[in-house]
Amino acid sequence: MARPVFWRSGAVENAAPRIAHLDRDRPLVEAARRDPERFEALYRRYLAPVYSFAYYELGDHHAAEDATERTFLAALANLGRFDERARPADGEGASTFRVWLFRIARNVIANERRSARRHPAAVLDEATEAIVADPLDVEGDAVRRDEAAAAWRAVGRLPGDRRRAVVLRFVDELSTAEIAGILGRSEGAVRVLIHRALRTVARELGGRDGHG
Amino acid sequence: MTLLGRDVAEVEALVTDRYLDALLASAELAVLAGDERDDAATRGGHRPGPSLDAAVRLASARLTRDLPRFHPSFRFEERLAVHLAEAAVAMRLPAAAGAEGTVTAFPNRPAILPDGFDPLADPDPDGDADVGEMDVRRPLLIRGAVAASALSLAGAAWVAWRRSRGGSPMGRAARAGHAMRGRPA
Repeated sequence: MARPVFWRSGAVENAAPRIAHLDRDRPLVEAARRDPERFEALYRRYLAPVYSFAYYELGDHHAAEDATERTFLAALANLGRFDERARPADGEGASTFRVWLFRIARNVIANERRSARRHPAAVLDEATEAIVADPLDVEGDAVRRDEAAAAWRAVGRLPGDRRRAVVLRFVDELSTAEIAGILGRSEGAVRVLIHRALRTVARELGGRDGHG
Repeated sequence: MTLLGRDVAEVEALVTDRYLDALLASAELAVLAGDERDDAATRGGHRPGPSLDAAVRLASARLTRDLPRFHPSFRFEERLAVHLAEAAVAMRLPAAAGAEGTVTAFPNRPAILPDGFDPLADPDPDGDADVGEMDVRRPLLIRGAVAASALSLAGAAWVAWRRSRGGSPMGRAARAGHAMRGRPA
């Protein structure tokens, strides 16, 4: 995953944020607009990040697959509506394809979660089990798996947007500006969300370590 | 929260954000250099500023190191690629058939999305947006649309072929003779 596609310029925190555009997806998006079959390149690039985000949110492989499928089909069908807005004057409303795609994913996942809420505890347990049993855990180390499960549990217990912001920041490695665009919040609000989430995670992991 | 308290929280959040920028960047550089990801996160890929809370720093390192990334199965990846290719073909068909009749715009929403659900709508500021009840359907309708379009094209081609065959006087005479033989005396 490449690093953020936004540059923030200007050091005055309370001033209107200025974002310069560096959308590396522009050639692929333009090609897909001319020929929808060229959308596959964008799909291959973002399949894993979108799926990972969905899996963290839903805690179930099948549900994550459904959400991923809906996200990409919706993106393809609505590609003509994608409005690339990344001029400095656009401020925090600036958008790149990646932000746009994750906004779709976020909305699709919100619908999925509505049905998943009936068994929230079961979802968390299932997700934790999935970590332990996941063959992608290359370390194969019981201690490491236990730590990964603890981190997942701590993140999974965070409320709504705090959890999403942490997953987007640490797993998908998006910038604060991008997360703000996805969640529909200001950059300052996202920073506070993540900071508070880290304090909560620190308490939980510290307490867990302290109790063995 | 007082104004001073809010400012302090925002400054702390800003310091944390800068630390995360450096932490994630150093982790990426470590990956590019072939090092272990957690080396950079925990061993000093970045030296935090003095005002960053130690617990927040430790939690950041733990999440950077421990949160796994997931990839769907290869089978799912290829199946969805086929679905997307089918949908892409369906988007191109109306234009290809435009010379034969009225061009109909491809619907903005794929058939698998429930009525009233706009995937491009602004997120709920509360962070738990629920945009109507999800009607879980598999994307069979898209494949059905592709099949129906293919049948329609085949029918148009057949009619065109028949018309081209009936254009010659010899052909018309042959069909008339055949019809005469079929009538009762």
